[in-house]
Amino acid sequence: MTLISTRPGPGPARPYRFPQVVRRGVAGGQLVAAHLPGQSLAVALLLLDAGAGREAQGREGLGTVLAKALEEGTAQRDATAYALAIEALGTELVAGLDWDSFQVSVQVPVDRLPAAVELLAEAVRTPRLEPDDVRRVRDDEATAQRMDWANPGPRADAALRADLFGAENRWGRPLYGDPETVAALEVEDVRIFHSEWFLRPGTLVVVGDLERLDLDALAATAFAGTGGGAVDRGGPVQVAPRDGRKIILVDRPGSVQSTLRLGHPSPHRAHPDHVPMRLAGTVLGGAFTSRLNHLIREVRGYTYGIRGDFVSSRRFGRFAVSSGVQTAVTAPALVDAVGEITRTQQTGVTEPELAVARSWLAGQLSVELQTPRAIAAALTTLVVHDLPDDYHARLRTALLAAEVEEVSAAAAAHLHPEELTLVVEGDAALIRAELAATGLGEVITSTR
Amino acid sequence: MPDSGFPWPIETTRLDNGLRVVVSEDRTAPAVAVNLWYDIGSRHEPEGQTGFAHLFEHLMFEGSTNVAKTEHMKLVQGCGGSLNATTNPDRTNYFETVPAEHLELTLWLEADRMGGLVPALTQETLDNQRDVVKNERRQRYENVPYGDAWLRLLPLLYPPGHPYHHSTIGSMADLNAADLPTFQAFHSAYYAPNNAVLTVVGDTSADEVFALAEKYFGAIPARSEIPAAPDGRHVAGTGVATTETVVTEVPAPRVYVAHRTHPFGGAGYDVTSVLATVLGSGRGSRLYQRLVDGERVAQPDLIGAYGVDLAYAPAPLIVTATARPGVSAKRLAAGLGEVVDELATVPVTAAELDRAKALLSTAWWRQMSTVEGRADTLGRYTTQFGDPRRAAERLPAWLAVTAEQIAAVAAEVLAPADRVTLTYLPEESS
Repeated sequence: MTLISTRPGPGPARPYRFPQVVRRGVAGGQLVAAHLPGQSLAVALLLLDAGAGREAQGREGLGTVLAKALEEGTAQRDATAYALAIEALGTELVAGLDWDSFQVSVQVPVDRLPAAVELLAEAVRTPRLEPDDVRRVRDDEATAQRMDWANPGPRADAALRADLFGAENRWGRPLYGDPETVAALEVEDVRIFHSEWFLRPGTLVVVGDLERLDLDALAATAFAGTGGGAVDRGGPVQVAPRDGRKIILVDRPGSVQSTLRLGHPSPHRAHPDHVPMRLAGTVLGGAFTSRLNHLIREVRGYTYGIRGDFVSSRRFGRFAVSSGVQTAVTAPALVDAVGEITRTQQTGVTEPELAVARSWLAGQLSVELQTPRAIAAALTTLVVHDLPDDYHARLRTALLAAEVEEVSAAAAAHLHPEELTLVVEGDAALIRAELAATGLGEVITSTR
Repeated sequence: MPDSGFPWPIETTRLDNGLRVVVSEDRTAPAVAVNLWYDIGSRHEPEGQTGFAHLFEHLMFEGSTNVAKTEHMKLVQGCGGSLNATTNPDRTNYFETVPAEHLELTLWLEADRMGGLVPALTQETLDNQRDVVKNERRQRYENVPYGDAWLRLLPLLYPPGHPYHHSTIGSMADLNAADLPTFQAFHSAYYAPNNAVLTVVGDTSADEVFALAEKYFGAIPARSEIPAAPDGRHVAGTGVATTETVVTEVPAPRVYVAHRTHPFGGAGYDVTSVLATVLGSGRGSRLYQRLVDGERVAQPDLIGAYGVDLAYAPAPLIVTATARPGVSAKRLAAGLGEVVDELATVPVTAAELDRAKALLSTAWWRQMSTVEGRADTLGRYTTQFGDPRRAAERLPAWLAVTAEQIAAVAAEVLAPADRVTLTYLPEESS
């Protein structure tokens, strides 16, 4: 047999062309659109300044409950009629939030988009929010969260976030709240949050074959009956200084794996080191061939996978590593992970590793140009972070131009191995002594 | 009604060694999807070798004659691509989506591991990936509530010896017993060009792909004897409903109702797909309307029905719901049973049918909206039905399903006497 032993080089590079972005003010709101000629599906996404950051401390989960309550009937029809109307178009209302925004969207064959946007606006602007319905949605959401919190992960995530940012702050508590905060929400909380944040026009994002769509008519539908202007979104939050490394043990008796969540705070999204930080994170824990995955999965066989990254929102950010490892190797896996973070902070990255990271992240921008949903997400990034139309092309250039020195400098400046919080959710009786013996830090038992 | 669910060009060829090559050109985005379907799934595994097809999928990323260990991932991600592989009872697929200028590299990588894996396979690699797969089993099936439902349903639906009786992840004991020569023989038996379909979709042309396929795959020899999986097309019903109850650490009672229906690809399964959507997709579905909004016995986010698209035996329909606080598993199971039974007796209305077809249409076009989604679909239809063009038939076939057909299929395959019911109960309530 003759296999060809010479690895082929690349063919001629295709140009990177992000679709032309249309932005304009319509009917009091902002419209942002992109043209995908010939695409059979179209997406409309309404972006509201009502992310989890707008929830008061102690009211976590409010946005999620409101998202689900939107479909419990509108001024025009009851919940069943609404469900049948929107599903008859072949779509569902997808509503959710992150720290910076609340997003509601529909994806349908392009000729059905006007009807789908009408239903979207009807639910967002004129939900009934009947007290009995809101209470039932709240109770269902509390139950759903209890189900979710029975899985490994949510308790560890919450312990890490609280230690990083302080449970006295909204951003030190879980993005979607927890079963207790959801259960404690009142009908009035939901109605007030709606009237405060859901009657402002917001931004309508439309992606699809624009030759078949009347953008102004879609925007007029989405913004009908709205008022009020933008509200100040606040600057980066101040995070309390760290006081050394520690291990937080979250007990999960009988667990056959230990869930690891290691992290520390990192800069917010607009920080000038955003690109080199992302690249450093990719070398350390992002790519399949990252240092963490290579050592802990491919060499040691301790896990199905381990990843680490820097994630940031408008007001704060964090570096975190997450994995599930076999119980018997919890301590050595933790030592290895901290070792790779330390090595990366101290000695930076190498050119071969950076070459993979930069062309992976840049190439993904090309691969992601395909679907209406992916383009809509890219447009959403422009709106939430006040970025220019050519941001993605510029990002691609910046990624490809990044040098070893600046990425290593970002690793040195923004990784803090001596200040890591190491959360371990697992069978405490089996792993506590070994964790203490690692010398990585004091072992604190979480009360969660 | 659209005439076709696949309005893109399709060109095909077959190399002398039997490798089928399918190309669909689309210059919209500067990306190509490369996809290989190998006709080897867990249905081919003999007793004592469960989990082998899937463990083998892992080994395919660990180096081959001209590709060092872990280099495969590094090269694909290093050119901006994404990649993965999956194994199910029917087949194993491998796929990459890359910026279009890296098509040739991707084909070289796939050819090298098709033709040159055995010389690179070491005991160390096998031991390492066996540990990784055992961790996958822990993470996905053992350490999460209800995680083993699929592992429990299969043996209840299919008798011992049936190709779908055992799960793809396999047993820990079989994985522990696997030795290197067995794996080398496994590759030799199934990873042959005449047991595979290569599909490329995106920013390229059929001429370019056919020439590259010949260049990189052309010298890999065909195999004359590829072992067939056992025939599972006929599963004798026992005529007795099967139930299993698991008392374990779960947060709420959950019930699974499952039936054997028809093999994916035929008219009976098209009806089943529409039936499953009427029954369990969305807030307008019968299950949601009856058990969540109506009787309020089930949790809203954890209810649904879906067919598992398996092609070589009557495929499963899985119906599931999780109890609201204070609702017993018995009450929930009774409700599920009633709604399923009524599919045969309460005619599906025109509105229900239109709703289901609209949802299925969007789901189809969503799958078709990416080059990787299209490539996997063409690979499936070539492998399972001998012709990628038959992919175009699926959407029109769904749209032609009638209420009468749904009632007839429900009466035929959803009878209570053929029902499997799996119930999870929290420990404290026992």
